Amino acid sequence: MEAFLGGLAILADPYVMLMVLLGTVLGIFVGALPGISGSTTIALMLPMTITMGPIASICFLGAIYCAANFGGSITAILVNAPGDPSASATALEGFKMAEKGQAGLALGISAIASAIGGIVSVVVLIVAAPALARSAYSFGPPEYFALALFGLSMCAAIGGDSPVKNLIAAAFGLLLATVGMDLTTGVERFAFGITELSDGIGFVPVLIGLFAVGEMLDQAANRHGKAEIVSLEAARVPGRAEMRKCWRSIWLGSGIGTFIGALPALGATTAALIGYNETRRWSKHKEEFGHGSIEGVAGPEAANNAAVGGSMVPTLALGIPGSATTAIILAGLIVQGVRPGPHLFNEQPTLLYAVFASMLAANIFYLVMGLSMARLFARISLIPPAFLWPAVFVLSVIGAYGPNQSMGDVYVMLAAGVVGFLFRRTGFSPAPLIMGLVLGGMVEETLKQSLIIFGDDLSGFLQRPIALVLFAITAAGLGWPLVARLTRVARAA
Amino acid sequence: MKPSVAPVAGANLNRVAAALAAALAAAAFAGTFFFDEVPPGLPGLGAVEFPRLICIVILALSATLALQEPPRRDPDAHAPDGSALAIWACCLMFIPAMALGGMLGTSAVFLVAAGWLWGERRLPMLIGISLAVVLCLWLVFVKVFRLTLPGGLLFGN
Repeated sequence: MEAFLGGLAILADPYVMLMVLLGTVLGIFVGALPGISGSTTIALMLPMTITMGPIASICFLGAIYCAANFGGSITAILVNAPGDPSASATALEGFKMAEKGQAGLALGISAIASAIGGIVSVVVLIVAAPALARSAYSFGPPEYFALALFGLSMCAAIGGDSPVKNLIAAAFGLLLATVGMDLTTGVERFAFGITELSDGIGFVPVLIGLFAVGEMLDQAANRHGKAEIVSLEAARVPGRAEMRKCWRSIWLGSGIGTFIGALPALGATTAALIGYNETRRWSKHKEEFGHGSIEGVAGPEAANNAAVGGSMVPTLALGIPGSATTAIILAGLIVQGVRPGPHLFNEQPTLLYAVFASMLAANIFYLVMGLSMARLFARISLIPPAFLWPAVFVLSVIGAYGPNQSMGDVYVMLAAGVVGFLFRRTGFSPAPLIMGLVLGGMVEETLKQSLIIFGDDLSGFLQRPIALVLFAITAAGLGWPLVARLTRVARAA
Repeated sequence: MKPSVAPVAGANLNRVAAALAAALAAAAFAGTFFFDEVPPGLPGLGAVEFPRLICIVILALSATLALQEPPRRDPDAHAPDGSALAIWACCLMFIPAMALGGMLGTSAVFLVAAGWLWGERRLPMLIGISLAVVLCLWLVFVKVFRLTLPGGLLFGN
């Protein structure tokens, strides 16, 4: 309780509050811009946060993460172009509502459902993260190794068009993490005599390249698409009857979003799609779906914002990213010298509770802004791409150069940009590569430590029940699609 | 949520991607043989085992990918036209051009050139916006964050 009050006190600091407010405005702004997602923005902003200090920077990044999911729904509803991938499910019913002349109502329910989902998940974060961290005190290197493998296996479901492609991308992320000096042996790996590579490949240039430059190169090739726009309307607060109709889908979406967000690697987009399907399944008005259902907006919006708090649970309590975006936030914390994990709750509880409080504040900020300024934010989508994307590239170059003032990082960023573009064109998702890169150090380090503990005997893992359970879940998760396919083939035969 | 469309005609994109991934993994595996020797007496895994293990995993996954059905074509993905190639060339030229114009000077020229290639034909507006963006970048990065941006022969020194 003392730590929580300390966190609230930090939030009373006008500088931190200003950062939360700025993060919220920026989050809605970029969320509303088709093509620029919250993760891209957080990757771009990472270098700027280095001078802010750990608390202000994570509050700023957390606020962007919270608000970008909501911002994406504005253009999904008004322009049928989800500003953020997590709003793709919202566009299904939201744009249909807008075509029926109910854009204001769709924006209103989107803002309210998003805020409720976000607040519910932050409350869960406040309760669950310390409990999870306490239970993780008994974890040793074998358990962390098993947990990191579980997190990597969840990459299979992260996006892209094939789980195998996601796993390949994650494995390349692990391989990239081995570049530089091996800390246990002092041997340089894959550095090719290049001094800049001796310290390893930096997170920041890879993140910026994969997300921002890769997207920019792709947008340059796809310059001819034109969004369909309905009349821009101000948001309208839903009436009592409309809220009564949506309560069930909001709570369902909040629960689903928090749970899915808390699973390593799965984030807001998966939560929103499952939230939409489950809202439709449990709705009493199934016939409205596909024709502009208000529940079809409320459910996925609650889910994608609830996933934000949920994904922070494993990120902060265990140091295992709950989503691609939290992988970037985790990288930001590491750059700041903060290593998330169970010890953080003992060492820096005030920092954590400041984060929780800032996320609550961000949810309230975007609720107010969403209801009062949705029409203004929707105009963001009208910014010509000819101005926007070249500016994103310039910002990427400065962002990659900034932290270490190194041109080597700019070259890494450009190379990562080309990889990001090729990934998009070949159905790979960049997110698993980031997960692999972020978790790579932990996977190798804990495997090495485990083998030292077990005297180089792999069967030592069999004596660790938690690790065994995690291995079993990982194997089941990876093997289930194969078993399901074989069963289908057998039935068909 | 993706619309169902016809598979890509011609080469199976999965096999191309799998071959590329396997080639990279094989090259990385070969690269591990050129690492320095690990000092004797150190316990546990050495420097080469983990990267080799990852390479083997990638090779196995690549083989699995090669056996999969070709992916569905994304209807929104266009082949890059001449202007797109020119924009990419501008991005590539950005780094060497910095030696002449510095980061901020090159940014101003890049924003105008890339914007024009993108299809924007209102030149005064392009120039005005590029100057405004560069001014904002200078204010934020140089004045607020005290970052030293690379200068060039003509601008920034």
